[in-house]
Order: sequence, then C-alpha cells, then structure tokens
Amino acid sequence: MEQKEIQALVRSVLMEAKIFDGYVIVRAQSRREWSMRLSNGRFERVSTGWDNGLGVQAFTKDGASGLATSDVLEEGVGTKLLAKAIQLAHRNEGVGTKLNRRIWEAPQLQADGVNPAQKVFGEIPLVELEEKVMSLHSRLRGAFPEGVWQTSYRQVEEEWCIGRSDGTLVSFVVPRAVLMHQGTVRDQDKAQSTLIHRSGMDATVLFEELKDHSLERKAMDRAEFARAVCNAPQLPSGHYPLIIDYGLAKGLAHEAFGHAVESDHINESVLGEEGKLRKGLRVARPGVNIIDGPLVGDWAYQPYSANGLLRQTVTIVRDGVLEAGLGDIFSAEEAGMPVTGAGRAESYRHVPLPRMSNIRLLVERMIPLAPAEHLMDEVKAVRATLLQHGELREGEKNLLLLGYRGGQVNPKTGDFVFQCDGIIDVADPDLPIYQPSIFSGKILSALEAIRGGLGEGCYDAIGTCGKGGQSVPSSGGSHRYLLMDADQQVSLGGEHG
Amino acid sequence: MKLVAQLEDLLYQSQLVPKKEELRLSAWRILVHDSEAVSLGVKDNSSGSVYTPPTYRQGESGEVFLVWSDGTCSQATVQLPAQNDPEYWSKELEQWRQASYEDPDATHIPAPEPLPLVAVEDRAIQKIIAGDDEILFDQVKHWLTDKPKNVKMQGSIQAAWGYRHVRTSTGLAVTYQQSQFMAWFSFDSLIGAGFAKRRLIHPQEQEDLWSLTVERYEGMQKEAPPVGPQTQVIFAPSLTEEMLGQFILPNFSGDRVIEGQGAFSKENFIEHRMVFHPQFSLSIDPLRPLELGSYLVTSEGVPAERTELVRNGQLQTPFLRVKDAVRWGAKPTALPQGTAGVYLKHQAEVSWAEAMRGVEDGVLVLSVLGLHTQEAVSGSYSLSAPHSLRILKGQIVGRTDVKLSGNFLADLLASTTKTAHSDLDSHPYLLIKTGIQPL
Repeated sequence: MEQKEIQALVRSVLMEAKIFDGYVIVRAQSRREWSMRLSNGRFERVSTGWDNGLGVQAFTKDGASGLATSDVLEEGVGTKLLAKAIQLAHRNEGVGTKLNRRIWEAPQLQADGVNPAQKVFGEIPLVELEEKVMSLHSRLRGAFPEGVWQTSYRQVEEEWCIGRSDGTLVSFVVPRAVLMHQGTVRDQDKAQSTLIHRSGMDATVLFEELKDHSLERKAMDRAEFARAVCNAPQLPSGHYPLIIDYGLAKGLAHEAFGHAVESDHINESVLGEEGKLRKGLRVARPGVNIIDGPLVGDWAYQPYSANGLLRQTVTIVRDGVLEAGLGDIFSAEEAGMPVTGAGRAESYRHVPLPRMSNIRLLVERMIPLAPAEHLMDEVKAVRATLLQHGELREGEKNLLLLGYRGGQVNPKTGDFVFQCDGIIDVADPDLPIYQPSIFSGKILSALEAIRGGLGEGCYDAIGTCGKGGQSVPSSGGSHRYLLMDADQQVSLGGEHG
Repeated sequence: MKLVAQLEDLLYQSQLVPKKEELRLSAWRILVHDSEAVSLGVKDNSSGSVYTPPTYRQGESGEVFLVWSDGTCSQATVQLPAQNDPEYWSKELEQWRQASYEDPDATHIPAPEPLPLVAVEDRAIQKIIAGDDEILFDQVKHWLTDKPKNVKMQGSIQAAWGYRHVRTSTGLAVTYQQSQFMAWFSFDSLIGAGFAKRRLIHPQEQEDLWSLTVERYEGMQKEAPPVGPQTQVIFAPSLTEEMLGQFILPNFSGDRVIEGQGAFSKENFIEHRMVFHPQFSLSIDPLRPLELGSYLVTSEGVPAERTELVRNGQLQTPFLRVKDAVRWGAKPTALPQGTAGVYLKHQAEVSWAEAMRGVEDGVLVLSVLGLHTQEAVSGSYSLSAPHSLRILKGQIVGRTDVKLSGNFLADLLASTTKTAHSDLDSHPYLLIKTGIQPL
C-alpha cells in the first residue's frame, strides 16, 4: 500500500469514529521486505513479501480500552474493527479494568515525515542485490575457506500512519537494512560460531561493503578469534577489572538500565520507589551519561511514537545521576516522568509499550584509542594504551570481553546477565584467550563500576528488543571500549574459583 | 474470494496458460493461515490494562513456493490485496519471477499421500472466538481473586481458531481447522507457569498448576542454605524445554547438519553415533492429540508421522524438510513447531513426586537468565539462576541464587542424569550433576 492509501484508510476510520463518545487511536502499517540467505556458496532462500494491516484501539469515555486488528483490508474492515474495539473496550470497563484517560491529554500533531533512505526500496532491483550479496559471500568464503559461512541480507521499509480522535495524523517511513555473516569454525572436535553485521537504512550498506570490505575483515578476524576460543581454557569465576566492547556496553545500557527506566516498568523496577522514578539518585560515578533517542540512518530509527507523538531524545543519566525516564503517554505521569514519546510497537497488531530506540552510554573520562584494521592489532593497542595511561590493574587479570551475544535482566531484582564471544587477558603480554563465560551481577553495581571510556563513540550495535513478546529493532553503543573496576556484585562465571 | 482460492487460480493459470512463457510454472505449493484470536492480559494486578487490553486479531496470510519452468524457484509471503486491483497478482507474479534463484534440491514437490487422523481442533475454542468469551474474563478474575497477598501479578490468556490450507501442484488440497489455547501467569516476575495446547485447559489442570506455583512462590519467601559443589541440579520442565530449544534443536536441524554447522556431522548420524546416554531417546511426534506441536501435514505437504531423532542414545536422523531430505537421500521427517512436538524420554523415568523424595541435597532451577545467549553448537552453558528453590532431604526449604556452568550435550550423555515426569508438563524434570556455585 502506498502512503496515501494508508492515510486515507486511517482518515476513514477516524471519520466513522466521530459518533463514538470515547477516543480511538488508529494505526495502519504497510511493511515491505526483501531478504536472502546464502550458505556455502548457494542461495538458500530469497524471499519477498508485503504485510499491510490496520489496528484500532478504542477507549471508552472513562478510559477502558480494547484493540482490534486485521490484515484483511477488504471493504468495511475499518467499520468492523472499530465496532469490535469499542465492544471490547466496553466489555473491559464492565469487568472493572484500571481506567486510563491519559490519551485525551496528548498534544495534537500533524506530521508527514520524509523517507530518510538514500536508496528507496526497489530502486536497486532484487536481481542486482542478489548478485552483490553473492559476490560478498563468495569473496569471504575464498578469503577464509576453513569456515562454514552463511550470509544474509535483509531490507525492510515500514510505512506508518497513526491517527487519533483529536485530529492527530502522523505518517512516517522507517527504512532498515542489514548484511550479516555467520561463520562456524572448528578446532579439533570443538566448534564455535560467530555472527557479525553491518546495518543501515537501505542498500547503501551493500555498496559501502563492496567498496571497503570492512565487514569481511571483521568476519575473518572474529572467525580466527572463535577458532582460538574453541579449545581455550575456562577462567576461574570471580570478580575482575573488565574492559567491555561497545556491543556489550549497549547490552548493559539497554538490558540493565534502559528497561529499568521505562514508565510502564517503574512499579517493578529497582530504579523506582513507590511507583515513581528515583530521580536524583546517584547511579554512577560523575561523568557517566546515558542517552536514548532516535538517530537518522540507524537500525532502530523511529521519529514518532506509535501513539502519534514526537519521539524525544532523553538524557536518562547525567553526570552519574538518574535524571529522566522513557515515558509514554499512558504511564509517564504516574511513573513521575515526562512524556517523551517512547511508545513503540512491533506492528499494527500490537499495543505500543515504552521502549528504547538508540541508547548510548558515554563517559567524560575518555582515553583516545588509535584505530587498528584488525581485531588482534586493536587488542594490542588497547593493552598499550592502558599501560601508557596507567590503567592496567597491577598483579591481576584485566579481562577484555569481546562480542555481544545477548543478555537478559530482571528489572525488579536488578539481576542481569550477558554473554560474550570470548575473553582476552590484556594484563598478560601474551594476550591469552579464554572461553566466554557469563557476565552477571546487579545493574547498579555494574554502572557504578564504570571508570572510563576508550576510543570514540560507536553506536551501531544492533539487536531486537523482545519486551512484551514483541520484536522491535534496538541499537546503541558507547565508546569503543568501557573500563570497569572489579566489583563484588559483578562477576564472570566459569570454573569454580 | 479467499486468499487461498485466489492463489490457486493464479498458480494453476501460470502453470497451464501463462501470460508470458517466462512466467510459466512447473510446480508450486501454497500455505495459508486464516485465523482469528482473542486475548486478554493482566499487568500489575489489573486485567485489561491499557497495555494488555482485550484484543481481537484477524489474519489471512501465507506463503508460496514456486518452481519456474527453467528450474529456478521463488518464495514469497502473501496476503489479500488491499484493494480491487485486477492487475495485483500479475504484478506480484512478475516480482516473484525477478526474485527467482537456483536451488535444484528445493524444487521437489511431494506427491499427495494419505493423511493421518490427528485431533488438532477444540470446538470449545471456536465458541470463544464467536463471542462466548466469558471463560477468558472469568479465568483472569479467578487469578486476581486467588493470588497470594501482596503479589504483583502479570499474565495473559489467548484463544485462537482458524483454518490451515495446504495446496500443491501435485494435487494435494488440504484444509483443516485447528485451535490453540495459551495461558500464563507470574508472581512478582519471579515465578510463573504456563499452559499451551490445542485445547482448553481442564479445571483440574488449572487448579494443579496454580497450587504448584503458589506453593513454590511461598517456598521462595525465605532464604535457604547455599549450594555446594555436590548439590544435585534439577531443571524444571519449562527449563528442560528451553534447554532443548537452545542446544538440541539447532543441532538436529537437517540443513545445519548438511552444511556442517551443527554439533554432529552427517557421518555421525549414518554411523548412529552414541551422543546421549543409552537410556535416552528423543523424538518428534506430531500425532499426539491436541498438543501444540501436532499437525496433519507440514507446510510442504508431508503427512505427519513420528520421527525418532535419537534412539537408545544413538543418533538416528536429523529432522529433514523436503529439500534437506533430497540432499540427505531420505524421506522428509516430522518437523518440530518450536520446541512443541519434541519429546525427551529416559527409560528409568519416575514421577516428580518420587524423584523429589529422593533428593538429599538439591536445587530446583525454575528459570535462568540469558539462556538465549549460549553457544548452541558447543552445548556449553554458563548461566545465572537467581530465585531457585533449595531442596534438602526431599523438601523445598527456601530460595537460593546459583550460577551454573556445564555442557548440555554432556549432561544428556552422563549416566548420572535422570528424568522425572509430571502430568502438568510435556517435558520432563531433568536431574543432573553439573557445575554449580552460589551466585
């Protein structure tokens, strides 16, 4: 569906809703996706697809809500969904749900966002994209034949239109593209896999990769590292001074901190007290800042919320002090924070929840790091830089954690875990490599342990946020590396120490 | 006109009398889901809050797989066109042609075979969809009335019903009704329970599940003595299921085995290498009535049948989709639906009640943080499990936080590993000896 058709659909439902004495939010989305996967030199799959749909969220005049959605956009679908959503809202009111009338306070907005893509969807024909991805895949296989390689490329364009009873009509386009190499390497009878990516808005990522082959170099370096990890020893579990890469730092900021300041979670968050954000709480050393907000060209870019509000950039932690949270229209005030347009949804089928976009963890105390072309050269540069600045902790392991494999947090207890691809002891001139082990602890202790940054900001660590059973793109980063002191509440798993 | 009918028309026409010769199909298959669902959630003790409102969802979408006359193939997801554009499908066909690629092993479309009789539909769920949804609201009301004092409860309940259509150019034309019912709840985001089948939960099952969860929640309210290196680790059924999903399924996926991306090689399967303890077997069984993993026919038109992946500890076969089966030189097998339909069985399995009585020094791990981050191929894990339940002399004595490190493939090979079953779960409790320490 074209943007104009989506807008017309939303307007027609809003028109019909005028006789309803409550409030409605109408969300229409048209999603187009091309994807391909290659394995060991052959196409495994090339797929194209559309997903168009409509969602109507109705509120009774007292604030009970119901949602109805459909991807069958036949004549009369708007009428049917509107009636169903209103019926469910009344049903909900009848069973005594918690009422919420905040949507009546949302500022009216008219916006028609431009598509930020440099190459619009379809500008580069699929056949040409296939040739480019095959060329990149074949080149990597030739350069690292000991690995078993899968290459994937995916480009998506989402057109959204959100309309509300107050006359708000917000349209925007979110383009995304990602190129990924996944390698499996073996050493003797052990195997390890590695996954790296290059993301952006559109097919430009392929053109850039064909020019500089930076992802290929990273893939080879990571595969070499994974091979070394296969038969590496395990570390004794314990508490160590750590250096974490920006992928892990994004994980820390997102999983361990961002979720804890989302307005719908404050009731159950370690950063909440009696249902309010603990504003003014010192959570990190002076100089530590955490910022969330959309960046144009980024994987998780979204300029407006799925409730039709402008998405704001929020400084969550300023100079080590908790300052603000990520608030959506429905729960921000109750959570003691301003509305920042943080509501995001996977699709028109889902209820928007307060979520992050691109979250960055930055420190004022930054030590410059000379860029290196290859991974182990960079690790050597890290060691040299830390030595030069007196930052290696004497007489103990200083562990560099590489590669973010994901993580999880319990915002209520503050427990978090992260996994990496492998570990290097940069205090040892031989740079010994260890098996990955779980990096876990309490979120406030982890934040308090951050003592500095190494290198410039890198914000392109990407992922998918699974909050509420939805899958929404997320991203973020920090300095190339973050330095953390040993802390009794932050540990690495492994063998019994 | 329904989506499946529109697609059938289009593809038959393109096979027999294409508009252009380059758009001639030699074979195809269609899968369409046509379904409706209603759901209701609980957030922070409030049913149907603004984040978990009663919801109705309607969907009619699917996918097509096409083999063109030059032997190339295409795949696409499809849904009903948004408006009356008579040229819509012609344009789509042109687009699919553009997206064609070479994959000779994928072009085989199986001939129709007799389908088994499998119960996959509960008519009571259809009534809920039709508007008789009292049961959902009543269930949530009971939860909120019966929950332990001062507990912050979250939960969700969903019923879905619809049609599954599978069509192939070789003559298979199957349409059948199927249903799903899912419910889960948690207390203080620390402990929870769930139910997911193709039928409604029975009142007794609901009561047993609820009592067990409340009992365990109460057990969590006091601190227990820390674990030691000899403490027996017990995975709760939901965790066993997650471990199977993380470490076992990826390594039994035919495409990964063929491409050398799994823990086992094709030779390992051919030689029936012993990878689990001889008392363990692992199967995919889509024939069990009203289980979530049950079906009549795969999306590729292969009739459901039971497949043993591991028998008496020895590898038998990975699960094979049609393309993988062609490459493997065997028949396609049963396919798991996530972890549903996968069954791990130990010959000396006992009931959970009996197994627990025999635990002198143990810890029952209900959930772990970060399992999805673990390396599937190696089978190794390093996990934290806050809020586990300490068992001493056969009794739950309180809560303890632990860290686990080990290897799930090694766990299933160990002679010390046992299982225990419960009527509330389709996966077993797993009793293992692994690396454990206080968190």
